Amino acid sequence: MTGRKPFLDALVGLLTPADVLVSCLGANARWLPHMTVAAPVFALCDSMSAAIPLALGIALTRPDRHVVALEGDGSLLMSPNVLATVAAAGPPNLTMVLWVNGHYESSGGQALPAAPMDWPALARAAGLRHVETVTEPAGLAAALVAARGAPGPALLVLPIAFDPAESIPPYSERPGEIRARFHL
Amino acid sequence: MTGAERIVAGLEAAGVTLAASVPDTWIGRLMAAVRASGKIRALDVAREEEAVAVACGANLAGGRGAVLIQNAGLLNCGGILAGLVELYALPCFFIVSLRGDYRDPVYYHAPKGRVTEATLQAWRLPYAIANRAGDLGAQVRRGVDFTAESRGPFVLLISGEDLA
Repeated sequence: MTGRKPFLDALVGLLTPADVLVSCLGANARWLPHMTVAAPVFALCDSMSAAIPLALGIALTRPDRHVVALEGDGSLLMSPNVLATVAAAGPPNLTMVLWVNGHYESSGGQALPAAPMDWPALARAAGLRHVETVTEPAGLAAALVAARGAPGPALLVLPIAFDPAESIPPYSERPGEIRARFHL
Repeated sequence: MTGAERIVAGLEAAGVTLAASVPDTWIGRLMAAVRASGKIRALDVAREEEAVAVACGANLAGGRGAVLIQNAGLLNCGGILAGLVELYALPCFFIVSLRGDYRDPVYYHAPKGRVTEATLQAWRLPYAIANRAGDLGAQVRRGVDFTAESRGPFVLLISGEDLA
């Protein structure tokens, strides 16, 4: 199983200035300021489970932009109901990317209080039609093309290795900076 | 016009483009009026915290979002108010049904009615109780404008009788 960073590198490399990237709190949000991202980024440092509904609000308001929302499995486990909300709203310009490592990585690596979740099955049960599991970073390019072309919102599920030794940088941008820099 | 229609006219006049909601019997009546609007997208969400994030996303994208929920749902929203709305200084306008005050005929709402204003004050959320004898639309517009100017939240509390 591949670790996070190769997936994040691959995904970021596929984004264009016409996209919008919304990141959940934690490792992805901490890595992004250290990467070159072509798309505007709104990264959370608190508020678990807010990334997808925040991205939904952006996607519905700006149908001309494709919005990519990064969410962690611990965070989505807190409010999986949002999958049904997104499915019902149906914006074709929203792709959710779920990072599945079974742990609350940013709070010390505690295991999730759940048996391994079948996220694709849950997402389909919630009404999402386009759900794909991507097991290697090299598969992201085709998966994102397919997600962009789907007639409704898409979910990409990325099983990643949990690496307690990953040297994740600290939060290096403050919320005021993130907000001030975010323009569509 | 009914009170619900006056409130929606206020939302329209304030430039609200998206109203995210979890209904109760009162908010459901208000959302029925929102759905009749040609200017506001009505979005049904499954939990109130989603509505807050959706509205913030709409605001970040150049629209204007509003959150229409019951006070029980507002009580759910302490975390996202602190960790998103306040932390990132985002405008967020709420219309909240004030269940359980003296005007509410349903007994089981009373505990929520007792804690709503105290919670708003403890969370330092600016709020007002709608005055149906006055211009409801103007009260809505002022609230929305306040969120834009203050880059923060504002809560307008309504009762069922305000919608008549």
